[in-house]
Amino acid sequence: MNRIVGSLVVLSLAACGGEGGSRALIQNKGSDTLVNVAQGWAEEYAQVDPSIVVAVTGGGSGTGISALINGSVDIANSSREMKPGEISLARNNGVTPKQMVVGYDALAVFIHPDNPAESFTFAQLAAIYGEDGSVDSWSQLGISVPGCDSDEIVRVSRQNSSGTYVYFKEAILGERDFKLGSRDMAGSSEVVELVENTPCAIGYSGLAYATEHVKMPCLSTDDEGDCVAPSVAAAIDFSYPVARPLFMYTNGEPQGAVKKYLDWILGDEGQCLLQSKGYAPAREVACS
Amino acid sequence: MFEATELNFRDNRVEWAVKALFLLMTLLLILPVLLILGVLLYRGGPVLSWEFLFTQPTNGMTAGGVLPALVGTIWLVVVALLASVPIGVAAAIYLSEYAPQNALTRAINLAIINLAGVPSIVHALFGVGAFVYFFRFGTSILAASLTLAIMTLPVVIVSTLESLRAVPHAFREACWNMGATRWQTIWRVVLPNSISGILTGVILEVSRTAGETAPIMFTGAAMFMPLLPRSVFDQTMALSLHLYTISMNVPDVPEALPYGVALVLIGLILSMNAISIGFRTVLRSRRKW
Repeated sequence: MNRIVGSLVVLSLAACGGEGGSRALIQNKGSDTLVNVAQGWAEEYAQVDPSIVVAVTGGGSGTGISALINGSVDIANSSREMKPGEISLARNNGVTPKQMVVGYDALAVFIHPDNPAESFTFAQLAAIYGEDGSVDSWSQLGISVPGCDSDEIVRVSRQNSSGTYVYFKEAILGERDFKLGSRDMAGSSEVVELVENTPCAIGYSGLAYATEHVKMPCLSTDDEGDCVAPSVAAAIDFSYPVARPLFMYTNGEPQGAVKKYLDWILGDEGQCLLQSKGYAPAREVACS
Repeated sequence: MFEATELNFRDNRVEWAVKALFLLMTLLLILPVLLILGVLLYRGGPVLSWEFLFTQPTNGMTAGGVLPALVGTIWLVVVALLASVPIGVAAAIYLSEYAPQNALTRAINLAIINLAGVPSIVHALFGVGAFVYFFRFGTSILAASLTLAIMTLPVVIVSTLESLRAVPHAFREACWNMGATRWQTIWRVVLPNSISGILTGVILEVSRTAGETAPIMFTGAAMFMPLLPRSVFDQTMALSLHLYTISMNVPDVPEALPYGVALVLIGLILSMNAISIGFRTVLRSRRKW
């Protein structure tokens, strides 16, 4: 009987092996902001060059960077720059991080479509989200939201391992921490989904996650500044105040399969795919 | 002449009430199972098809099938079984048939129980440290399956121990009296009589292994990989993680898709269980006591 089980196992594993020919496996891990684009690239690239297989994993920028430091990935995705401490840690492990900008991300603030608010200043957002911020109800902003009877501002945020969380904190709150009591979501699409269904809510995430069921107010850095609505174009020309570069890190100059893949990403095809996912390309491209 | 008194009537009523209450509790157990299967079939049933099982996910994982995740889960379960069943059964045989009753044996038993109580996410962290980094397996099927194997070892050991102990001691004594060695006794008498119980443990392990997400998400499962894995050193997609990512990270996923994936996962576990149950029934029918 043992022999039967053994041969069954071997057979099933052999059957799972599939197609012949040699192939290179690229491991790509990191930022949840970038993960859907990275997945799109990997999916598309399988059609371009079937001899290169890209395995994509999320987990957050920190996860990707620490995997790069430990030498267990070929490409780390990150929505923030590597910190000096991380770079020296990598050097000690014999890893030389090479940074590449693959696109730009604009953070959008989301509110329920019934919410009449049209614009927010950084100061208002800090007062809503910041730890010593005084604004807890919509009426304090002079807004009355239909369907939000409690008048309480339901703050939707991300879990603190997310690059989006860190970026929002740096851009809007500066040195301050988040106010306690926010709903911390594990994924960007969850933030959007909660805001869609909650009239009292305000939330933030990458522009790529916006749906037609949420409203995106324009943002301005201060009372005098122009209020700019989030859009891909506004992110490219940096007129939108909350836009950031997205990085891919490799160990040293990319070579072989990794280089081919990255060249394709930075080429027209890869950049247009990134744009179609709602991010701003790293350079001007003409996409159909 | 016996005549029912008021006291007897009260006893009867209490008896009836207790029985009804306990029956209700038992029926409550079935309810979640039926609800889960019902909801999954109702909402996920429409997306199921052969094409769904045997094609790649497409269009940013919002369309297409689940083939790489299905195959990946099978890889993870099989490799985990190959690692944990020999170790677990050997350890259980030692503990049951050879080990002297001393402090060391008691310590080992305690360690097994504690290992069973360790949360899966802690196993995941251990797996990352031990298999991915220390042994340099990288994020791979091997690292993920070994993590799963360690997590499920206690289940295999405990259930094997119980089924070995269920074999009457007289069987062994009779065998020894015929001049058989311990190993001959184990191989010819104890194992054939306990194999159905051992398979029960394996069934439990399959169910748990196939469904776990935490231990594999840092050790070997990829969110997306367009081709099937070829060796244990490749990364792979897995159904459980696929379900997690399309529910949590991927925008614009059709509502039925996650239910379909969950249905495939449950279907896979049930059919793997069915195979083991089939084996078990055949083996049990050969049992002579």
